[in-house]
Amino acid sequence: MSSEEAQVADAAAADVTAEGISIETARKFDLTPKIMPYLDRHLIFHLLAFMRDQQLYPAEELLQNTYDLLEPTNMTDYLMELWKQIHGETAEVPRELLLKREKATQEWNKLQDETVTITGLLENPDVISNFRSDKVQNLQFLKDTHGVTDDMIDALLRYGQGAYSRGSYAPASDILYSFRILSTDGDKVNQATWGKLACEILTVNWEGAMEEIQKIKENIDTKAFVSPTSQLQQRTWLIHWALFPLFNHEAARDTILEMFFSPNFINTIQTSCPWILRYLAAAVITSKNRNAGGSRAAAVQQKQFKELVRVVKQELYEYSDPITEFIAALHLDFDFEEAQKKLGEADAVLRSDFFLLGSADGFIESARHLISEAYCRIHQRIDIKDLSQRLNLSQDEGEKWIVNLIRDTRVDAKIDYKNGTVIMNHPPQSVYQQVIEKTKGGFFRTQVLHAAVTR
Amino acid sequence: MATSRFFHGGLSDSESSSSSEDYSTEEEELEEDAQAVDESDESESSEESDDDNDDDDTDDDSKLEANNAGERQSRRNIFTRDAADEDDSDEDGLRRVVKNKKDKRFEEIEACIRLIENAQKINDWFVISQEFDKLNKLVTKVGHGDVVPKPYVKAIADLEDFMNETLSKEKTASKKMNATNAKALNSIKQRLKRNNRQYEQEIAQYRSDKENYLLEPDVEEAPVVQKSIPDGPETLDADDDSGAYSVVTRGGKAVQLTTESIFKHLKVIVEARGKKNTDRTEQIRTMEKLLELAQTPYQKIRVLIALISTRYDLSFGVLSYMATDQWKAAEKELNALLRVLEDNPSWVIVENGDEWEDDEKTPPTPGPGEVFKVSGSIVSFVDRLDDELTKSLQNIDPHTTEYIDRLGDEAALYRTIVRSQVYFERLAKAEKAGNIGDSLNRTIMRRVEHLYYKPLAVIETMEGGSYNLLTSESSSEALRSGLQQQVPANIVQNLCSYLYKNDSTILRTRAMLCHIYHLALRENFYQSRDMLLMSHLQENIHNADITTQILYNRTLVQVGLCAFRNGLISDAQSCLQEILGSGRVKEHLAQGVGPQSRYSTISPEQERLEKQRQLPFHMHINLELLEAAYLTCSMLLEIPAMAAAGSSPDMRKKVISKTFRRMLEFHERNVFPGPPENTRDHVFQAANALAAGDWRKSSDLIQAIKIWDLLPNSDPLKLMLAGKIQEEGLRTYIFTYAPFYDALSLTRLSEMFDLLERKVAAVVSKMIAHDEIAAALDQINKTITFRKGVEVSRLQTLALALSEKASGLIELNERVYEQKSQSGTVGGLQESSTRTGGGGRGGKPRTEFAGNAGGGRGRGGGRGRGGRNAPFPGGERASART
Repeated sequence: MSSEEAQVADAAAADVTAEGISIETARKFDLTPKIMPYLDRHLIFHLLAFMRDQQLYPAEELLQNTYDLLEPTNMTDYLMELWKQIHGETAEVPRELLLKREKATQEWNKLQDETVTITGLLENPDVISNFRSDKVQNLQFLKDTHGVTDDMIDALLRYGQGAYSRGSYAPASDILYSFRILSTDGDKVNQATWGKLACEILTVNWEGAMEEIQKIKENIDTKAFVSPTSQLQQRTWLIHWALFPLFNHEAARDTILEMFFSPNFINTIQTSCPWILRYLAAAVITSKNRNAGGSRAAAVQQKQFKELVRVVKQELYEYSDPITEFIAALHLDFDFEEAQKKLGEADAVLRSDFFLLGSADGFIESARHLISEAYCRIHQRIDIKDLSQRLNLSQDEGEKWIVNLIRDTRVDAKIDYKNGTVIMNHPPQSVYQQVIEKTKGGFFRTQVLHAAVTR
Repeated sequence: MATSRFFHGGLSDSESSSSSEDYSTEEEELEEDAQAVDESDESESSEESDDDNDDDDTDDDSKLEANNAGERQSRRNIFTRDAADEDDSDEDGLRRVVKNKKDKRFEEIEACIRLIENAQKINDWFVISQEFDKLNKLVTKVGHGDVVPKPYVKAIADLEDFMNETLSKEKTASKKMNATNAKALNSIKQRLKRNNRQYEQEIAQYRSDKENYLLEPDVEEAPVVQKSIPDGPETLDADDDSGAYSVVTRGGKAVQLTTESIFKHLKVIVEARGKKNTDRTEQIRTMEKLLELAQTPYQKIRVLIALISTRYDLSFGVLSYMATDQWKAAEKELNALLRVLEDNPSWVIVENGDEWEDDEKTPPTPGPGEVFKVSGSIVSFVDRLDDELTKSLQNIDPHTTEYIDRLGDEAALYRTIVRSQVYFERLAKAEKAGNIGDSLNRTIMRRVEHLYYKPLAVIETMEGGSYNLLTSESSSEALRSGLQQQVPANIVQNLCSYLYKNDSTILRTRAMLCHIYHLALRENFYQSRDMLLMSHLQENIHNADITTQILYNRTLVQVGLCAFRNGLISDAQSCLQEILGSGRVKEHLAQGVGPQSRYSTISPEQERLEKQRQLPFHMHINLELLEAAYLTCSMLLEIPAMAAAGSSPDMRKKVISKTFRRMLEFHERNVFPGPPENTRDHVFQAANALAAGDWRKSSDLIQAIKIWDLLPNSDPLKLMLAGKIQEEGLRTYIFTYAPFYDALSLTRLSEMFDLLERKVAAVVSKMIAHDEIAAALDQINKTITFRKGVEVSRLQTLALALSEKASGLIELNERVYEQKSQSGTVGGLQESSTRTGGGGRGGKPRTEFAGNAGGGRGRGGGRGRGGRNAPFPGGERASART
């Protein structure tokens, strides 16, 4: 299901790419055209709606694009509305559209008729109570006692698809759920899972979406693919789809980040969609600030950040935008002026990005932390004025910021008020400490290894 | 190829006339063998006894009614006398001896196979493995890859089946095989798979029709094999056709050369092929006349095929090459042949073409839409033409005009290759033409190999030239429709992607390497590097044949040079390290024979092989340039590293380039260094200057290296190098003098090294951030403040080293476990290993390549060895591994 739609969406995306050439930073680094081929029509719709709000592109063109985008779907009522928006209130709705609506309704009714028995059965508590955990058994049970056929179950999938295509996502989600309970066809179940994920995303049910993402991920990892390319493609889709929960659902963040940083997925990002690095970078940097999870979480974040720097460096020649360039400037070149400049640009980019709009402020805040952290590590004596400037703050604000920084991150530093400087104290790391540091995890790791070997 | 037919050939003699092409290869080999085996004359008596053997074997041949020895003797005498009359009698004798050698080999093969079969019965894989090696060696001696003896095919096919069976049994059965056996089984599994891939066709043939395929060898075993070789001459003297034979050879003036008798003459000539005492130039002259007479396409095709093969026969042996005029004539005739084929689409030449048994009858005339297949092989003509050109280029002194003239012929050759590609493409499209096998792929590969190392402008000229010439020369529809002019920038890419899609053999690997080379040549470093890494060639290149390994080395070096041109010093260094660090650059790149090692003694045979592999001069990568690039890169990395290490002995061990260090030490030992003379002197004096903090002098010395001018745009390169030297000079200075200062002024440093203050700050910041120096910046005073008291005692260093080793050990254990469990299911393990992998070590920039170079570096020596000693480096390596 999703593959076809992604392909069609590709064509729509191409239109957008054509007009996407512009000098403006936000436009220059607009990722929408790149992301679109990997999303579903209904998901893209939201991106386009967002773009209309942003007013980066001419509204009429976007409207037309939206119309083109949704044309193959069965959301005919909305399409008519769009038509009117494009061509004026009084415009005659084209005949094809009306015909299509009729046809869609017919089809829908037909599908409803086809599936009425099975949906009825599934609502029947007597039937439900007879279900076991074994799919095959359930199916057999239904076949034996209620005359359900395989065709009927397949019709359920089409029914769910139809519901989705009409834009009624919540029912579609339920239907696909029941299909999945019954069907034993691996491919179709997989399709249903993708469909359900789309529904969950569109109904803003993030917990549900996370569940589906996990399912799909397992499926991709375990299924034997004919060609590695198709596996790669599926991963790429999953990565794009996961962006929705990543930036909209706090609780999902760690899970998804962990998934992104697993070797398979980081490779996928590097080979087929390096632009995801922007989101990855934004997510890692913003989550640095919410340092609430204790030392374990901090360690994970530290690790992820290092990994991020590594990947950004590797991919710099293939993909760069202000956000990745910021990281490169700060952690590869140690060029603070450049980093500051990039941060300014990044702000504009973030604010025009569908996914990142919400976390723009958090990103700027965390990025400042990063800058000052790096700055303090390298310097012994810092001019407060200069630092404030680096952070895009006034001198007073800067001072406050530094005080907060010293308090929060336990940086060993003092402010010399008279000279307007901060004096850092870098105690050299003791050799003993280094040795302890190095050997600390050894015992645990050996234990884990031992356990793994004996198992 | 046409193996099977060759062996059938022994049964029906009339067919031999049309299978000229097949003979060309076999006879050639025979002659090669003859030379290699035995230059000295064999005595008559031994000859006689050999003869006896042969005749016994060929008893059932109806043509030889030799029942008693006496009769044979007389016949024999007549024959020898005849031969003596004509020419040197010894030559004929030689042939007999050869036959005998060949027989012996076949017997050996049989014996081997029998041993393998016996071993199979008792499941002794160790013996099988040994015999299999031996068998392979024997077969290459006999067949030179083209001819595969049937019993061999049967043996390897059966062996594979048996192996698979054993393997599947092994899985189910509980452990019962001992270690040696299991090891041997494993190794043979790998080798057999690789080996059998070469003979896929034959094996498929065998499998599809086991009974019939085996029938002949079963009934008469050895005789079939042996008989097939002497077949040519024997049919001749039994055929009572010797009258015509002598007329043509001796008289020179062919009496009745008419259109009708073309086939008759042709037959005679073909049958005389391979005999030493035939006058080939005479034959060629006859055939040229016949060609003029030929009218129908069929006649033309037949004459041309025979004529081209005969021309190839003129030169034999490994070291001699075809005379230029002959080569040109062959090229012209091949073109004429292709043209005939283009003009007459109903005639095709394929390797498994139909035989036209009886030349007396009227030649076939295909109706419209029908296709008549003539037996022959265009692709081997093209291959041979190409090889001959290469051979002659190898042998001609590259500094003469002759070489340049000869090089000009490449354009003509390229044109022929393109033309035959079009021909094969046409055949591939038309289903009726039958299977053309890998001919198209081979042709395309030849084309790629003529292009990949050339700069864009040259490709453009070659491509455009061939296009124009071909379109103007022939107006044939078949040619025009198949030929399309390609954009020179994309041509290599297009050809290679065709091979990626349609080939799975070594050609694909070679295409990939050529493609990478081409990309690197055109400054696409990242693209070429990514392709190189993604192809995972490093892991299995040492299993490939030597020429492919050479190509791999060339590619690696070219990628390194590309990185160097783009200012990616550490990437360049790690790429070049593998080849240049070995000290046997010349051999690894096949650009001449390196100095002989004291310990290795090479036989003349090996030396000959090595000479054969040499690349023609115009394909060489300039070694001096390579060395200059490598040493400069090493200098830029090594000098700061040495300064950072200071005098502590542990740090000194971390060597980036051993070669560089060794040479530097040697250079330092000179008491009175004179002014620099060669590239090496320049680099090392520059290195010394850099170490002393004198970046200006260092930069001047590097810039003075003349070889940079060979690079397309050397000025930006020099600027880049100067910039790098400034930076590294700064780093070296800080490393060296940090212990003597409390603080250093950034402004002063920026003056000293002529760098922007911001740049200096960035360099220093990086050093601080990577913990290379214990210091901090003071923003107010614009200074670097060094921290004191960071020096560690001996005990502390050791403690650190110990802890490092311990954690390394754990990591190693984890990796071993991960490999065992394949997927690495334990989350905790995976996590910790990646953590250490990405751990903040100082020398980060090298990680990308170093990870991959690791495997390769170990191989360096192995390859050198393979290149010299072993005819089967792959097999040897594999066995050494298991």
